[in-house]
Amino acid sequence: MTARPARLAALVTAFVVLGLLVVLVRAAPDSGPTASTTLLDQPAPAVVGTTADGSTFELARRRGSWVVLNFFTSTCIPCQREHPELVAFAEDQERLGALGAELHTIVQHDDREAVERFFAENGGDWPIVFDDAFKFQNSFGVAQVPETWIIDPSGIVRARAIGEVTAEFLSTTIQRLRQGV
Amino acid sequence: MSRRLSWLLVLFVGVGALAVGATRDRGPLDPGDRIDAISRRIACPVCDGESVYESRNPASEAIRSAIREGVRAGALDDDTVIAGVAEAYGAQVLLVPRATGLDALAWALPVTAAVVAIAALGATFRRWRAESAAIGEATEEDRRIVERLRASADDAAEEP
Amino acid sequence: MPALSLNLALGNAGLLITLVAASVGAAAGAVALIGGNRRAVAQTYLFAWPVLIGTVLSVVMMQRALAQRDYSIEFVQQVGSSTTPTLYNVAAMWSALEGSILLWVLVLAAFTAAVALRFRARRDDPLVAWALVVMYAVTTFFALISFGPASPFREGPGVPIGFDGPGPNPLLQNHILVLFHPPILYLGYVGFTVPFAFAIAALVTGRVGEGWLLETRRWALFSWGFLTIGILLGGWWSYEVLGWSGVWAWDPVENASLLPWLTGTAYIHSVLVQQRRGMLRVWNLSLLVATFSLTILGTFLTRSGIINSVHAFAAGEVDGYLLGFFALVVAVSIGLIGWRGDRLRAPGTIDSPISREGAFLANNVVFALFAFIVLLGTVFPLIIEVVQGRQTVVGAPYFDRLSMPIGLTLLFLMAVAPVLPWRTASTELLSTRLLWPARIGVATLVVAVLTGADGWAPLLAFGLGGFAAGAALRQIALATRRHGWRGLVGRANGGMVVHLGVILLAVALAASNSHTHSATIELEPGREVAWGGHTFELVEVVNERDERTDTARANVLLDRTKVYGPAVTTYLQMGMTIGTPSVRTGLAKDVYLTIDGTNPPSPDASTVVLRVFVKPMILWLWIGGALMAIGTIMSAIPARLHRRPTDPTSVVLGATDR
Repeated sequence: MTARPARLAALVTAFVVLGLLVVLVRAAPDSGPTASTTLLDQPAPAVVGTTADGSTFELARRRGSWVVLNFFTSTCIPCQREHPELVAFAEDQERLGALGAELHTIVQHDDREAVERFFAENGGDWPIVFDDAFKFQNSFGVAQVPETWIIDPSGIVRARAIGEVTAEFLSTTIQRLRQGV
Repeated sequence: MSRRLSWLLVLFVGVGALAVGATRDRGPLDPGDRIDAISRRIACPVCDGESVYESRNPASEAIRSAIREGVRAGALDDDTVIAGVAEAYGAQVLLVPRATGLDALAWALPVTAAVVAIAALGATFRRWRAESAAIGEATEEDRRIVERLRASADDAAEEP
Repeated sequence: MPALSLNLALGNAGLLITLVAASVGAAAGAVALIGGNRRAVAQTYLFAWPVLIGTVLSVVMMQRALAQRDYSIEFVQQVGSSTTPTLYNVAAMWSALEGSILLWVLVLAAFTAAVALRFRARRDDPLVAWALVVMYAVTTFFALISFGPASPFREGPGVPIGFDGPGPNPLLQNHILVLFHPPILYLGYVGFTVPFAFAIAALVTGRVGEGWLLETRRWALFSWGFLTIGILLGGWWSYEVLGWSGVWAWDPVENASLLPWLTGTAYIHSVLVQQRRGMLRVWNLSLLVATFSLTILGTFLTRSGIINSVHAFAAGEVDGYLLGFFALVVAVSIGLIGWRGDRLRAPGTIDSPISREGAFLANNVVFALFAFIVLLGTVFPLIIEVVQGRQTVVGAPYFDRLSMPIGLTLLFLMAVAPVLPWRTASTELLSTRLLWPARIGVATLVVAVLTGADGWAPLLAFGLGGFAAGAALRQIALATRRHGWRGLVGRANGGMVVHLGVILLAVALAASNSHTHSATIELEPGREVAWGGHTFELVEVVNERDERTDTARANVLLDRTKVYGPAVTTYLQMGMTIGTPSVRTGLAKDVYLTIDGTNPPSPDASTVVLRVFVKPMILWLWIGGALMAIGTIMSAIPARLHRRPTDPTSVVLGATDR
C-alpha cells in the first residue's frame, strides 16, 4: 500500500528529469563567435555620427553595400591586437572592388588625437566615426570594445562578434551570409 | 489576564496594526521610485540576464534615461512606458503575472505543484493516522522489549 | 625557457596522477568489495593520498605559472597580466572555466582525503569503502574534465616577446571578496559529495538504517554552512561592486547556488525526523541525491553557455560531459533506491500534523516547492525556446512574486515548529508556549507600523519575523535555564541561532526590497543638493592613473559630515569601465553612492551625475549571515550528546521519557 505512491513519485521524478534532459540537450548553444542580439535580422538603427574630417556619417545612407562596423578605443589592448587583422581585411575587400564590404571604425568616447595617431602609426585608411553622443553605442548596445557588426546591403543586421575578430573570420562570414547559408 | 484574553488581544492588535500599515496613504509615488519600478521590469538588451535596474551597461543607462523621459512626460501608466521603451530599444519585458499563452505555465506549474504537494501531505497523514489506529496502544510486552533493547544499547555504548 | 615548461609538465603530471589514482581507486575498490576481498577493501582508502598529492601539485604549478606569468600556457594567456596585483593574480585561477574546474578538483580531493583520514580506523567497513569508491568516481569525472576538455595546462599559441595578457575580468579584480567567495562556495558545493557518497554506499550495502546518517550529519552541516556563507559573500560582493545596490538578482548562476542550498536545508531538517523516528528514509536519500545532482546541473547550466548570465564563463567544451554525468547520477540513484525499495520501507507513522515531525514535513514540502520554482524559472526560457523557438526572459519580478508567499510560510513555520513537541501537541500546549513569541511578533509589527513601514507583505514579514524570533529566543532561554552555559552553546541552540540569523536576513531583505529609494542627482562643486533627507555636495573630482587602471573619483560630502568617494575605473587592458560605489553603512539604513553616466567625469568636470540609493537594514543582512555561521558551528561541534546515537531511533509508542 505504501509502495504505490512512492513508485508513482519515482516515476514522476524520472519523467520530469527526462524532460529536463531533453530540453537541455535541445537547447545546447550553437557555439560560434557570433553573439546573439535582439537586433539580429532587424534593420540597423538609423544613427548618425561625425567622421574625422567633420562631415556627418549616416548609417542609413550606406545601404547598397555590406557594412562592417568595428567599435574601438585606442586604449583597449584587444583592439590594438586586432588592428592588423582589420587592415588585412580592408585590403582584401578593396581588391574585390564594388563587391567589397565597407569597414568603419566607431570610436567610443576617446581622445580624437590619440585615435588619429594610432591610425597613422598602425595603418588603416577607412573612415573613422566619432560616436561622441553615444548614439551608436546605445542603439547597438555595445558595452565593451572591441565589437564588430556586419550589416547587409539592405541595411539589416546580420552578425555581431564580441571580442577580437580575424580577417579570415570577417571574410568568410560575409561570404557565407552572401550565399545565404 | 486569562490566556484566551491575551490571545484575543494579540490577534486584535496584530490585525489592527497590519490593517493600518497596509492601507494607509503612502503619499504620491516618488518619480525616482517609479523609474526604479519600471526599470526592474525590463531586461537589459545586451547584458545577459540582468534587468535594466541592475545593469550599469551604457545601453541600460540609455534605457533608464528613456524611462525617465517617459515618467516625466506625465500621465502615462507603467505599461505604456515599458512597451514604448522595449519597442525602441529591442529590449525584452520581464515576465509578470499577466503572462499569457505558454508563458502562463510559469505561473500555473508552481501553483499546481503546491496544491499537489499539500494534497499528498494530507493524504499521507490520513493514511498514517489510519495505520497507527490499527496498531493500537502500546502493551506491557512492547514496553519490556524497549527496556531490554535500551539496556543492551547501554552495554554497547560502554565500548569506545 | 626551462622553468616555463616545468609548470606545464608538472601541472599535467599532477592531474594525471589524480586521474589515474582516482579511477584505479574506484575500480579496485569496487572489484574488491564485490569480490569480498577484505584485505583489498581495507586498502581502498590509500588511494586518497595520491589523489590529493596530484591535485595539490597541479594547483601549485598553476599558481606558480600565474605568478611567473608563464605565457606558454594558454590559460595564463587568457587570465594573466603583469599588471594584476598579487592577490587578484591568485584569484585569477578561478576567473575562468578551466581554473575553476581545477579548484573544484582540489576541493574534492581534499574532501576525499578528509573522509579517508576520518574513517581510516574503519577502513575495512564496506560502507566506508563504498563511500570512498563513490568519492573516487566523482573525482575521476572531474579530473577527466580537467585533464581533457577543460585543461588549464594546455600549451598556448606562441606569443611575441613582451606579450602581456589581459588579466582577469575587471569585475574579478575589483574587490577582495573575489578571493573568498568562490572557494567558500565550492567548499559548500563540493562538500555535499560526502553525504551523497555515504547515501549511495548505504544503498549499495543495504545498510539503509540510521548509521550512515549520523556519520555524515556533521559533513552535511559543514557543507551547508559553507554554502550559506558562500552565497551570502556573493551577495555582499554584488552589493559592494555591482553598483545597483542589490544583493540578489535571481541571476541563473545565483539560482544554481541556491538550488542545492534549498534541498540541503530541507535535508538537514528532515534528517532529524529520521534520526529520531527512523522515518522518511527514501525522502532523505532523495534529498541528498537531489542536492548533489543539482550542484552538477547548476554547474552545467552556468558553465555551458546555454543560459545567459553575467556570471557565465564563455561556452566551453564540458557541457556534454556535465550533462552526461548529471544523467548518470540521477539514473544510478533512482535505480539504487528502486532496488533497495523493500529495505527502505519506513517503520512507524507520524500521528499528527501538529507535531515537530509534522512541522518538519511541512518545511520540506515548502523547501521542495521553492526549489521547484527556482529551477522552473531558471530553465523556463530554455523550455520556451525548445517548444516555440522564441526568446523569453524570466527575471526578478517572477521570482520575487513567488518567493514572497514561500518566505512568509517559512517564517510562520519557524515560529511554530521549535515549540512543538515530537509526536503530538495539544492546542492547550501551543497556546501556552506561543503566547510570548506572538506578543513579540505583534510588538515588532506595531513598531514597524509606527516607524512608517507600509505594504502588507513586508509588514507581515516583520510581524512573523518577530514571532519566529520570539520562538527561537524562547528555546534558547529554556535550554540555558535548564543546562546553564552548556545549554546556551549546545547543539539544539545552534539551530535556533541559525534561525535567528535567517529571520534577520528575511526581515532585512523584506525591508530593503520594499523600502529602497533612489534618485539621480546632478552635482556641481560648491552647491549643496538635498534629497530624501540627506544633503550632497561635490567637493572635487580626483583622477588616479596607473598602468592598469584610470580612476575618476568624485568626492562627495554627505550630510555635511563625511566625504565619500564613489569612482569609475577604466581597466585599460580591456577597455572596460567599472563603477565602484561608496557606501555609508548604518544600523538603520545605508546611503549608497555611485557615479551614473557612461562618461567618467574628468578632473575639471563641472558636473557629476550621481545615483543615490537609500536602503534600510542592509547591515542586518551581514549580521544575520554571521549568526547563521555561528549557529552552524554550534550545531556541528561534537558536544556530549543529549541522546546517545546508540539509542533506538524508532521508539515505540508511549516509551518516550520526554
